[in-house]
Amino acid sequence: MWETVAQAVINGLLIGGIYALVSIGVTLIFGVVKIVNFAQGEFVMIGMYISFFLANQFGIDPLLSLFVSMPVLFVVGVLIQHFLIRRVLGPNDMPQIFLTFALSLLLLNLALMLFTANYRTVHTSYSDEALHVGGLYIPVAKLIAFVVAMALSGALWVFLHTTDLGKAMRAAAQNRDVAMLMGINPDRVFCVALGIALALAGAAGSLLMPFYSAYPFVGQVFVLMAFVAVVLGTLGNVIGALVASLMMGVAESLGIQYVGADSGLIVVFAMLLLTLAFKPSGLGGGRAR
Amino acid sequence: MKRVRKDSASKAAHQAAPKRQSRRDVLIKTGGLLAAGAFGAVPLRGWAADPVNIGALYPTTGSMAQIGVGCVAAAKLAVDMVNEAGGIKSLGGAKLNLIISDVQSDTTVTRTETDRLITGNKLSAIHGCYASALTLIASEVAERAKVPLITGSSSDQLNKGRTYTFTPFARASQFARAQLQMSKLVSDTPKVAVIFENTAFGTSTSNGLKELAPSEGVEIVMFEPYSAGFTDASPLINKVKSSGANALFSVSYLNDLILIVRTVKQFGLNVSINGGSGGFVIPDFYKNVGKLADGLQGVAHWNHDVSDDAQKVNAEFKKRTGEFLFEYAGGLIAQTFMLADALERAGSADPQKVREALSTLDVSSGFAAMAPGGKVKIGPDGKNIYGHPVGVQWQNGDLASVFPKEDARAPLMKT
Repeated sequence: MWETVAQAVINGLLIGGIYALVSIGVTLIFGVVKIVNFAQGEFVMIGMYISFFLANQFGIDPLLSLFVSMPVLFVVGVLIQHFLIRRVLGPNDMPQIFLTFALSLLLLNLALMLFTANYRTVHTSYSDEALHVGGLYIPVAKLIAFVVAMALSGALWVFLHTTDLGKAMRAAAQNRDVAMLMGINPDRVFCVALGIALALAGAAGSLLMPFYSAYPFVGQVFVLMAFVAVVLGTLGNVIGALVASLMMGVAESLGIQYVGADSGLIVVFAMLLLTLAFKPSGLGGGRAR
Repeated sequence: MKRVRKDSASKAAHQAAPKRQSRRDVLIKTGGLLAAGAFGAVPLRGWAADPVNIGALYPTTGSMAQIGVGCVAAAKLAVDMVNEAGGIKSLGGAKLNLIISDVQSDTTVTRTETDRLITGNKLSAIHGCYASALTLIASEVAERAKVPLITGSSSDQLNKGRTYTFTPFARASQFARAQLQMSKLVSDTPKVAVIFENTAFGTSTSNGLKELAPSEGVEIVMFEPYSAGFTDASPLINKVKSSGANALFSVSYLNDLILIVRTVKQFGLNVSINGGSGGFVIPDFYKNVGKLADGLQGVAHWNHDVSDDAQKVNAEFKKRTGEFLFEYAGGLIAQTFMLADALERAGSADPQKVREALSTLDVSSGFAAMAPGGKVKIGPDGKNIYGHPVGVQWQNGDLASVFPKEDARAPLMKT
């Protein structure tokens, strides 16, 4: 009995780590630049394809391709902020919504055209391995993904709290006008925020590749969970998104085990609705950190 | 939010096809005329037999394109084989002329494309469309236009109230029974866990399994729908583990199935997996899953080892495409030879006469008889009265027939 519960919790935490990487990116962009990036899932997809092609063409392990996918997507993020998002920032939200939504559609259909709808997988020596601890099974690929995801989240936290740029970012998140008065250059801060958020999406893609298939629609699977986590953990709150992602992973897993295999998401959304009913600002509190 | 890519290049290609044909027509006819002139005599009729037009409806773009493209390759191979063997002798050696149309994995497009194909060309027969959902539409249109349609699609609905649709291979209802019987190959007391995606396809297939299980003496210990396109199969497999099942039936599309197979392996769970048919029995499955696929079972209406003729066609298909001849494509080659047989007996390209000839089809040798059991005889409802599926198993990257005994070409690999 306890084994089943423990196994469900482990499964939930491990996948929650991946949700966290995607949702931290979304929440960071929202917190700093104040736009909702609907295309975040598509950047996970791009990260996956980068890892897939590096593994397929050059035999590079998907985990090592992290060192390619993250910088590439960082640059893409900076370029998107500089050439696209910067131009629609203003009092009106609609252009921003349409911009990121259009970006999502564009990338998705480009992927369909270039890579076709086929599923692509990568085999690594550890793809099918699992650690046996007591009666429990911990898949190696997911454990690595979880550990790296937590390490990256930790690194981001340290960056936001100890470096000048990180502090400037948090300042811009808390109050853009005052931050500007203090001499912070918002364009530069926004570019870095977009870069970091997309790099995290790229990391999620590379970490997923050893155990999940890449296909053009793959981002949509993860971005849904990311949006729920972002709202649950309070919009703009990095730690909140992290904790909410892990909670959602566990809730989904327990839901599948004890409610029904098609009810995992029901449990997740019930959790969201209850939270919003009693604490409309989300679990992270009203303050962006 | 479903987005289907519209491939304008391929559209242009098949629109150009009839034009190219007419040019060839002209060449043949003028060539014949010149030859006849040279010998000083013009024969009374048919100096070059008119080609017989066969329509082919397959999704070569969109979500089902992967298999559709393979079907078209097989359809072309089959037509080449018939033509190289001398065409339709009773029609003066008339060649088969394949007119391919892309139905874009879409039911609406299927309706208009079928209509367009029939009204725009003088067709003797049609084959298509691989996916039952599309074939049902195409067969409706063909029924109204009174053009015979032959198909490997398995939906039992194709045999209801239709007189122009012919299904020479196993029906969906037979697939479920075969799957249940196969579970007894592994254990005398099979305890089956059925997991299925919560879609029309998953629900109808799994309900068929549930209904038949008691009469086959198979106990179903878990019957669980899951949301298609999940991120993680672990919770589901955790549940299978606690159910105590020794066999797992998964009614899933490729991506989910890959996750399920990997997770079962990671959990060290000792169950035999039966993945059914469709995406499970195509070469791509093995490419994606790799060695883990070895030992996995499935069911198919055709397999490349059913007969020596099938092996021969398989070798040729491999030479052309680099892949082994998969279920639907192999059956399609047999269907083309069934059409040739019907045309031969009808002695006419008239669709009405071809229908009559198809309804009395009875073959037990040659490429037309490439089917599990080696016999095809069309009954009153358009079904092959000998039709049955074959149980298959992945063995070292190849699909081997392992069930029933009379169709087995390799022993069941224990996993």
